Amino acid sequence: MNYFPTMNIHDDPAALKALQDDIYREKVLRARKQSPAERLADAFEITNFVFGNMLAGAMAQKGITTESEGWEEVRRRLERLCRVHDHGRYAAEKPLAA
Amino acid sequence: MNIESLAAAVLDACEAASVTHMLTGAFATSVYGIPRSTKDVDVVLGVTGGDAFEKVTAKLDLIVQFDPQIQFDTLTWGRRLVGTARTPPPFKVELFELFDDPFVQQQFQRRRKLYSAQIQRETWLPTPEDVVVQKLRWGRSKDLDDARDVIAVQTPEALDMTYIEDWCGLHGTKERLLKVLGEIPPL
Repeated sequence: MNYFPTMNIHDDPAALKALQDDIYREKVLRARKQSPAERLADAFEITNFVFGNMLAGAMAQKGITTESEGWEEVRRRLERLCRVHDHGRYAAEKPLAA
Repeated sequence: MNIESLAAAVLDACEAASVTHMLTGAFATSVYGIPRSTKDVDVVLGVTGGDAFEKVTAKLDLIVQFDPQIQFDTLTWGRRLVGTARTPPPFKVELFELFDDPFVQQQFQRRRKLYSAQIQRETWLPTPEDVVVQKLRWGRSKDLDDARDVIAVQTPEALDMTYIEDWCGLHGTKERLLKVLGEIPPL
């Protein structure tokens, strides 16, 4: 599909959906070419890369100059994220009726 | 420490404690779907009751600090224990105890082996069908995306869709299955 650089694709729901489908299709077809072990290896690599970016982002945003302080900020952010993601999903006690 | 070193350490701890196990969560999803990042290593321990948590966490004590409080998921009331790597990056480890739930039991029985060069060992994983059923059961937006991705990459033709549909019927998640199938564009 061709996209014209002057158009704002968000103004055209059909074009936006077509672009989203194109991007998704490319991801799926790439994954299909990989073996299960290769996909697992990619997940490891992406995770390490993302954590590196989280460290760089936290240090830049907070003006932190040492990695240890940067990781502490990342840890705090992850704890907050976990609380949001897990809200209502976990309980400290199992009800008697469950 | 990188995430694969932590995953290897958790699997080693299970082996050393003679606790059967299965890698789940984002890594299991990535094996069958579109690889993605995660914040944690999720492992199901193949023991119901007893002291499996204690045995495995004791083996990991030098590298992972576990919360003292065991948690229950409010969907199935399975038990979960969460830990954080003692050294950066602050990866999480989540241990789940096998429990008396027909699907969870069958999922564990059907697990299969995969060799990973990154962790230099074989690991046990759920089948792709069981990943889909599990993700549809949890039903968070990220879970539904994972289920869609596994179906899209594996293709409905290659998956045992009857098995998936049967469990979705029992779990009341058939509408979710239809929704994620409808989200897959022509490939």
